[in-house]
Amino acid sequence: MIKVNKEDMEYQEGMTIEDVLRRKKYTFRMITVIVNGKVVPKDQYATYRIKDGDNVDVLHIMSGG
Amino acid sequence: MKIVKTKPELCNGCGACMTACSKTRYKVEDPEKSAIRIIEKAEKPGSFDIFVCNHCGECLPVCNTEALYQAKNGAIRIDDKKCVGCYICVGFCPNNAMYVHPDINEPIKCIACGACTRVCPTGAIYMEEK
Amino acid sequence: MENVIEMKKAHRLLARMDYELGKVDKGYTNRTLYINLSDNTIKSKPVTEQMKEIFIGGRGFGLWYLWNAITEKTKWNDPENEIIISTGPIGGITQYPGAGKSLVVTLSPTTGSVIDSNVGGYFGPLLKFAGWDALEIQGKAEKDVIIYIDGNNGYVTIEEAPLEAVDSHLAAEQFTAMYADSEEDKRNVAVVSAGRGAENTLIGMLNFSFFDVKRGVPRLKQAGRGGVGTVFRDKKIKALVVKYTGVKGDTNGPADKQKIINAALKIHKEIHDLDKVQNRMREVGTAHLTEIMNDYDLLPVMNFQYGSHPDAVKLSSDIFKEKYFTQGLPDGCWYGCSMACAKAVDNFELKTGPYKGQKVCVDAAEYETIAGIGANCGIFDPEYVVEANFYCDTYGLDSISTGTLMAFIMECYERGIINKEITGGLELKFGNKEAALELIHQMGNGYGFGKIAGQGVRRMKKIFVEEYGADPDFINDIGMEVKGLECSQYVSKESLAQQGGYAMANKGPQHDEAWLIFMDMVNKQIPTFEDKAQALFYFPLFRTWFGLNGLCKLPWNDIEPADNGLTDEPAKVPEHVRNYVDIFNGVTGKNITEEELILQSERVYNFQRIFNLRMGYGTRKYDIPPYRFLGPVTKEEYESRMERYDNQLKELGYEIEGKTVEEKIRMLREYREDQYQKLCDAVYKRRGWTQDGVPTLETVKRLGIDFPDVVELISKYQ
Ligand code: SF4
Ligand code: SF4
Ligand code: SF4
Repeated sequence: MIKVNKEDMEYQEGMTIEDVLRRKKYTFRMITVIVNGKVVPKDQYATYRIKDGDNVDVLHIMSGG
Repeated sequence: MKIVKTKPELCNGCGACMTACSKTRYKVEDPEKSAIRIIEKAEKPGSFDIFVCNHCGECLPVCNTEALYQAKNGAIRIDDKKCVGCYICVGFCPNNAMYVHPDINEPIKCIACGACTRVCPTGAIYMEEK
Repeated sequence: MENVIEMKKAHRLLARMDYELGKVDKGYTNRTLYINLSDNTIKSKPVTEQMKEIFIGGRGFGLWYLWNAITEKTKWNDPENEIIISTGPIGGITQYPGAGKSLVVTLSPTTGSVIDSNVGGYFGPLLKFAGWDALEIQGKAEKDVIIYIDGNNGYVTIEEAPLEAVDSHLAAEQFTAMYADSEEDKRNVAVVSAGRGAENTLIGMLNFSFFDVKRGVPRLKQAGRGGVGTVFRDKKIKALVVKYTGVKGDTNGPADKQKIINAALKIHKEIHDLDKVQNRMREVGTAHLTEIMNDYDLLPVMNFQYGSHPDAVKLSSDIFKEKYFTQGLPDGCWYGCSMACAKAVDNFELKTGPYKGQKVCVDAAEYETIAGIGANCGIFDPEYVVEANFYCDTYGLDSISTGTLMAFIMECYERGIINKEITGGLELKFGNKEAALELIHQMGNGYGFGKIAGQGVRRMKKIFVEEYGADPDFINDIGMEVKGLECSQYVSKESLAQQGGYAMANKGPQHDEAWLIFMDMVNKQIPTFEDKAQALFYFPLFRTWFGLNGLCKLPWNDIEPADNGLTDEPAKVPEHVRNYVDIFNGVTGKNITEEELILQSERVYNFQRIFNLRMGYGTRKYDIPPYRFLGPVTKEEYESRMERYDNQLKELGYEIEGKTVEEKIRMLREYREDQYQKLCDAVYKRRGWTQDGVPTLETVKRLGIDFPDVVELISKYQ
């Protein structure tokens, strides 16, 4: 189990940040991904592997109207 | 058309081109008002980068007022009467070859007159077909 | 244009004032142009230091003038009601994106209280450069008039103008041609106009023009909310025209231009480098939000019942980009806007209405319009959206209110509250685009069911209850308005903070005060009441500041520096906040800090709250939204998010086993309504208000807005 924006998500072997974003339908582009308190650079979303128990925060900048 | 071409490895950083440019364009000797800029490389003192417009024209569609235009000789120029000094073109220049001075409304950019190349003692800048 | 010469000949001069041309000094001309159309007075009024200190400009000036012009009994159509237009000290600089906005303030026909609207186009800046910080219009003309301000020759006229069109796409073209000396000169003319729909409804808006030199047509930006166009036409104003030739980078008279330049070069570069990987504002404008909102279940579908729809992809920005928007043209609504969000559709052939068959340039389509007249009405057809957008604009109808009120009507129709007999044969079901367009034409032209629709959701609720026997509780739950203003296009059900952002907003539920959904619902950054209250303190104030200064909100957070995510408070975009402080100081020569920026807004924000109080509103009960803002009203809504709602109830300790949907709806409602009240408690406390939502004496003293009449008024509520 991992946490994504404080909600549980099932952990899957080998999942990357990109997988997490896809599962959550996080399509907005102005985001910052923080894993266990550390910012992950955008260009690593496809390769960065999540570990079981990780705490992932996907901060969306608000935009809107 | 002929434009300013550069061989930065020959540049000794004397800055004569900047003085010549500001004098031709704005009648003052002030490198801050020059359309060509010589900047010493931070990581390699004694070596210089030369920034000057290559008249690629990428700024043309960016201008809201049609102040940017291609002159008959092919140079990209600014029509001062139309320009409102918004500096969008400055931020959008892929070569960082436009400059701003608070006393001058329009961006400072090269008009390909060649004055700078005539004073360069080392041949680091010269006029050549685009 | 020959007919323009004829039209001009038909003008009858009613009054003229010659004036000394002013010079803008540090963002101000220090004068306001006052006009009374009842007796044709034209005069110059000083802008005082106190006004600049407390109200800054823009919306602040508008509120102050209106406060002094009316009484608590004044109605929107009384002659003493005013329309005030002002940009603000920063408005008119050409270097920073989004610095040419005008703020319109008046008493609203739909809310009965003060309304403000923020709009692009060249009018506000050119008005200032012509010598006037604000234009204050009072009184009512007998026949259609125009006000013309010549900022190079120094005169103002009021003229009867019988022949020009009322509809905006024509009016803007005619007046631009009339007052420009040549084609080149057209960009120096700015026109404000409404449209026939502003005469026939209460949701009339104003179009502010700017001349697009590359397309060779005037473009239209909208001051949409709260019926400002209705007031305009009630005063029999056909158009306001200002002309000023000679806009330069320093016409706004900045105290320290270098400060502005530094900020400007940074942000232009940022937009150049990053917009394509962030929001693509330069390519598609706000239209990119449609697919985002759909993905996050926030797109209003069928009167805010649902948050997404499989067909929403048909309205996605890429479709607009490929099939409609013309690319690479200057789509900034004032000089220097590198964000350039103002997209347009060229050569659009109209299929309905009085201009059927003509090819027009449409300022379309922005997110609010796509979501409102499209998704919210269950219509997922871009061709229809562009057509409806064109007619809303030229008729002078607010497309946000139009979308929300049509969605309301459609739900009432589908639920049998109204029927074909009542609608005069219109089959106003969700998804019926022919009927929707017909209703827009009826509203615009003031006939049939359009006459009822054009009164807005609040009045329709009353009519449906009183005349058609609708169940008042249900109608009130689903009619998406607060304070009399129709809601803008976001689903707030799952974000408590946004419910507050909408329903506590001074003018009514418009997202320009606060848009907190991502922070609250998605990021879960503000879990406690105190966190939410802090967000509802800071963001509405920060965003108010744009309206005091003539600024656009978009370049603040629709683009962010590459390292914004690494800052302490990414949601605030700290680097951009610093830019704004620098620009303000660069223009005015003052030396404010980020804290003082907020304080400037806090003064005006509280003053506006007290203004509501003065007009008979402005207390807690007016901050309570219909239940659909907070949660599911109907079975279908509950079922569409069953898992979410069931889980929430379980987590809260409700026993839901074997309960019917209706029972669960009731439980959830009890909980959410209580949460909303608690949110009010926390927010009022943070804002320095009483528990009835009135600023305390201490607060107004601290803010320096303790004018005698303010103190007298709020004392009754302490
Ligand atoms: S600074 Fe002048 S030339 Fe450059 S984009 Fe702006 S108006 Fe055009
Ligand atoms: S060619 Fe002329 S304008 Fe261009 S940099 Fe040299 S001196 Fe300046
Ligand atoms: S971002 Fe859009 S609305 Fe804002 S100033 Fe620029 S063009 Fe106008």
